[in-house]
Amino acid sequence: MSPNLLLLLLILMFLSLSITSSLSSPSPADSPPYLWPLPAEFSFGNETLSVDPSVALIVAGNGGGSPIVRAAFERYMGMIFKHASGRASLLARIRFLRMVEYDITSLKIVVHSGSDELHLGVDESYTLMVSKKNEQSIVGAVTIEANTVYGALRGLETFSQLCAFDYLTKSVQIYKAPWYIQDKPRFQYRGLLIDTSRHYLPIDVIKQIIESMSFAKLNVLHWHIVDEQSFPLETPTYPNLWKGAYSRWERYTVEDASEIVRFAKMRGINVMPEVDVPGHAESWGTGYPDLWPSLSCREPLDVTKNFTFDVISGILADMRKIFPFELFHLGGDEVNTDCWKNTTHVKEWLQGRNFTTKDAYKYFVLRAQQIAISKNWTPVNWEETFSSFGKYLDPRTVVHNWLVSDICQKAVAKGFRCIFSNQGYWYLDHLDVPWDEVYNTEPLHGINETSHQKLVIGGEVCMWGETADTSVVLQTIWPRAAAAAERMWSTREAVSKGNITLTALPRLRYFRCLLNNRGVPAAPVDNFYARRPPSGPGSCYAQ
Amino acid sequence: MRGRGAKIAGVLPLFTLFMAGAISAFEDIERLRIWPLPAEVSHGGRRMYLSGDFKLVTEGSKYEDTTGILKEGFDRMLDVVRLSHVVSGGRNSSRSGGSALLQGLHVIISSSTDELEYGADESYKLVVPSPEKPSYAHLEAKSVYGALHGLQTFSQLCHFNLKKKVIEILMTPWNITDQPRFSYRGLLIDTSRHYLPLPVIKNVIDSMTYAKLNVLHWHIVDTQSFPLEIPSYPKLWNGAYSSSQRYTFDDAAEIVNYAQRRGIHVLAEIDVPGHALSWGKGYPSLWPSKNCQEPLDVSSNFTFKVIDGILSDFSKIFKFKFVHLGGDEVNTTCWSATPRIAQWLKKHRMSEEEAYQYFVLRAQKIALSHGYETINWEETFNNFGSKLNPKTVVHNWLGTGVVERVTASGLRCIVSNQDKWYLDHIDAPWQGFYDNEPLQDIKDKKQQSLVLGGEVCMWGEHIDASDIEQTIWPRAAAAAERLWTPYAKLATNPDKVTTRLAHFRCLLNQRGVAAAPLVGGGRVVPLEPGSCLAQ
Repeated sequence: MSPNLLLLLLILMFLSLSITSSLSSPSPADSPPYLWPLPAEFSFGNETLSVDPSVALIVAGNGGGSPIVRAAFERYMGMIFKHASGRASLLARIRFLRMVEYDITSLKIVVHSGSDELHLGVDESYTLMVSKKNEQSIVGAVTIEANTVYGALRGLETFSQLCAFDYLTKSVQIYKAPWYIQDKPRFQYRGLLIDTSRHYLPIDVIKQIIESMSFAKLNVLHWHIVDEQSFPLETPTYPNLWKGAYSRWERYTVEDASEIVRFAKMRGINVMPEVDVPGHAESWGTGYPDLWPSLSCREPLDVTKNFTFDVISGILADMRKIFPFELFHLGGDEVNTDCWKNTTHVKEWLQGRNFTTKDAYKYFVLRAQQIAISKNWTPVNWEETFSSFGKYLDPRTVVHNWLVSDICQKAVAKGFRCIFSNQGYWYLDHLDVPWDEVYNTEPLHGINETSHQKLVIGGEVCMWGETADTSVVLQTIWPRAAAAAERMWSTREAVSKGNITLTALPRLRYFRCLLNNRGVPAAPVDNFYARRPPSGPGSCYAQ
Repeated sequence: MRGRGAKIAGVLPLFTLFMAGAISAFEDIERLRIWPLPAEVSHGGRRMYLSGDFKLVTEGSKYEDTTGILKEGFDRMLDVVRLSHVVSGGRNSSRSGGSALLQGLHVIISSSTDELEYGADESYKLVVPSPEKPSYAHLEAKSVYGALHGLQTFSQLCHFNLKKKVIEILMTPWNITDQPRFSYRGLLIDTSRHYLPLPVIKNVIDSMTYAKLNVLHWHIVDTQSFPLEIPSYPKLWNGAYSSSQRYTFDDAAEIVNYAQRRGIHVLAEIDVPGHALSWGKGYPSLWPSKNCQEPLDVSSNFTFKVIDGILSDFSKIFKFKFVHLGGDEVNTTCWSATPRIAQWLKKHRMSEEEAYQYFVLRAQKIALSHGYETINWEETFNNFGSKLNPKTVVHNWLGTGVVERVTASGLRCIVSNQDKWYLDHIDAPWQGFYDNEPLQDIKDKKQQSLVLGGEVCMWGEHIDASDIEQTIWPRAAAAAERLWTPYAKLATNPDKVTTRLAHFRCLLNQRGVAAAPLVGGGRVVPLEPGSCLAQ
C-alpha cells in the first residue's frame, strides 16, 4: 500500500469518526473550540487525551528535517509544558509506577516541500489530526501534514492551542479528541506595522512582537523604520544617516536588522521594510543636510537633487542585502509640498521643468519606484499616490489603503493589488476602537467580482508609535490585532455569521489569556479604551 | 581656559576627570549611570573592550558553584549586556585595540555555601583594570549572592558600541566597593485580585535583580481568589478564579527556586483573618455563615487546623525565615452578627477586638511552630502591639509615626507607607518613591537597626499581566536606590537623579522590561514621539 493511499484511508476513517462523534457532542456554537483564529474546517469528538511531556518528534517528507521545524517544536514544547517542567508531580510518578501510558506520545510532522523559501503567498495550509493510538491508527497519535515548513508552523500553533494544562491530574490534556483540522488562510498578506521612528523599540521588544504575531498566525511585519523624528538604522553606503537616531543607543546595526529578519523567518513571518518618501523623512537630513530643501524648511526631501535619489538608491541597495521579502514599502503619504514652493532653488527647478508641486510629487514617487524595481523589489505605496496619480504608478504597485474606506475597491478595479488598513478600524493607535469593530471590518467589503477580490492580498493593523513605546506597545497591539488576524485568516462565512458575542468573544477572551500565559501583556478585551488596565479584580477570562 | 583644558586632557585624561570630580562631586556621580548608586566608586577615563569570548574564571574561589548559580548569573549578565545585538568578535580585532581587551571576569567568593540566608553579607568589590594591565576584571564577594549584585553592576558598566559592534567599558579603571544599606528591599505582588501567569512572575523577578531588590512579597491569597494548591487541604484552590488560573505546589516551589537562584527571597503571605473570603469556596465552614463570609470563623478549631495545614505545607517550599500573616483591615461585624460566633464570644468573654487579637496571636503561634518568624500588617501592632510575639516584624502601610513607635517598643519594622510606596497609586510620582526615607525621624541607633528595610507594593485590583511591568517600573527603581545606596550619597532633591534614572528606565526597556516613561508623573504613557532618554 502506498503511503498516499494509506493516508487517504486514514483521513476517511477520521472523517467517519468525527461524523459519528459530532452527533453526540455539542455543536461548536454551544461550546466553542477555543482556537484563535478559527481553522477553515475542523471536527472533533468527546474524548480527553493526555500528552506525554517527553513527546517525540517524528519528521517525514522532504522538508521534515528542516531546522525551522525542529526549533518550532522545541519552542512549542516549552509553551505547552511550562507547568509540568521540573520535578514530576506525585500523580505523574504514580502513573509511571503503574505503567499507565500517555495517550499521545509522538508528534509526526510531514512536510512535502524541501524549500524553506518564505515569499508572499507561500503555502501555509496544513492538516492536523489528533487521535488516540489504537488498532486502526498505526501512525503517530498527532500528525501535522503540510506542503511547506510554514504550514507546519501554523499547524503547531493550532496544536498548542488544543493542549491545556489540567490542574487536577497535573498533566497536559487535549479535550474533545479526536480532532481533524484542515486549515489554510483566507488572505496571503496578514500584517502588523511597527514604527521605530517615533519611539525606538529595542531588539528584544521587536522579537517579543514577532513571537506574539506567530500566535495569531499573522505573517508580515511591516517595519516602518524611519520617519521625520528619527533614523535608527545603519546604512553602510551612507553612514551618516543614523546620526538621525534619537541617541547613540537607540539604533539598529545591519546585523541587528538581519537578526530580526532571521528570527521572523523562523516563525514564518516576512519583514517588509519601509522608507517613507518624500515626506516623513526629515531625520535623513540630520546626517546629510543637503537632503533638506533648506535648513529652515526640511520636508519633503529635496526633489531637485540627484543626491536625493542616490541616497535612496544606496539605502535600498543596503536593505536589499538584509530584507529578502519581495515587497518594499516606499510610503508616499501625507506629502506637504509647501517647502518645495517656498525654497528658491526648488521653485526655480519646478519652473524650469514646468512642474506643479503635484507633478514633482509624482515625479519623486515614480523615480523612487523605479529604483526599487531595479533592485528586484515590488513597490508598495500608501494610497495617496494612487489617488493623486494612480494611472502613472507602475502596474506592479501594491496600493496600501489607510485613509479612504473604498480605496481598495477603486485600486483593484484598475488592476492594482491592494492592502487594507482602514484607519477608522485597523489603526491600533486609535485607542477608542473596540475589538468588535476591528473584528467586523471586512477587507472585501463592496468588492464583489472574484477577479477583483483576488487582488486584495490582505490587510494590516498599524501600530503607529507616537504614543506607544516599549512600555505600552504590546498591550496596544493585543488583543485587538488578534481580532483582525481572525478576520484575515478564517473563512469569511465563519467570521461573518452569527452573533459575535457568542461565536468570537469567548474565544478572544480565551486567546487573550493564552497570550498572558505566554508572557505577552495583552490588555483586557472588554475595555472601552484600548490598553486600559482592568477595571477591577476578576478572572482573566471575564475581562 | 578652554585651550589649556584640552591640552591637559590630551596628556592626562585621568587628571582632568578627577579635577571635574573635585569641582562638582555630585555631577560626576550622576555621570556614572549606575542604578542603584554603589557605596563607593572611583573611575578613570579610559576605554576598554570585552573579548568576544569573555570568560568567567573562578580560580582561588572557595565557592564551588555545583548548582551553577554563578555560571547562570554570569551568562544572564552577558545576555543583557548584548541586548540581543549581534556582537562581532572583538577578539584581536585591530579596531577594538588589542591591548585594551578584557578577556574575562575573575570572580572570587569566600563562602562555600549557596544557602540564601536573610541578612547575610551582600557586599562585593569590583575592579576593572586600566588598559595598561588588562586581561581580567575582578569581582570579590563573601557570598555568591553578593557576586550576583556585582555582576549586575558590571552589566551596567558595559555598553554596546553600535558603530564598532563590540561591548565596551568607558571610564576605566573602575574600583567599586558596594553593599546595601538595608537588608530587606521588597516588592509585593498580588495574585489574588488578578492571577499572574508564571512567565509574568518570572519576568518580575528578573527585573527585580536589575535594581538589586531582594524580597518578593507574594500576597498569594485574598478575598477574590485562592490560586495556590495546598496539598493538606486540596479544596482550597477551588477558590481560584477558574480551573486554569492556579499555581500547583510545584509551580510555587519553582518560583521560589527561580528567585533563590537570583538572590531573591520569596515572602509568602496568607492574610488572616480578614481578606480570606476565597478560602470558603472550598471549605464553606470557614465562613461565619453563607451570607456573612469574612473574616474567617474565629470560633472554630477547623479554621486554625486549616491555617496549620497551609503553614505546614508552606514550610516545605517557602524557605525564607519569615512568613507574612497579614492581619489588616479586619471588619469583625460578621462575628457578632452570626449567632454561633456571638455565643462563642460571650462564652469566652471576648469582645470583637479581643477575638481579633486572639486570632492573630494564635496564627502567630502556629507559624512559629513551623519555624517561621512572622510579619504582620501594622493594625496588629496598633491594636495590641504589646501582645505580639517579640519576634514579630511589623509591616507599616497606613500611618506615619508607626515605624518610630514600633522600633521604640523593640519590634522590627518594614516600611511601606501607602502615600509614597504603593505602586497601585498610579498618580504617585517617582520623585515621591525616591524621597521616602525609612528612617525618617528615627534618631536612635538601636531603633534604626530595627528597621529592616522597605517594600513597594503592587496591589492587583487594576493590575494584571497586561500592565504590571509598567506600573512597577521605573518607580520601584526609585525606591530601590533609597534602600540600597548609603544615605549620604542619596540626592536630597530627586530631580537631580532624573537623567540617571531615565537611563536606567531605558536600560530596562532594552532588556525587554516595559518600564514606563518618567515624564508625566505616576504611571504614564509617552505623550509624544521622542527619545527614551528624554521621556
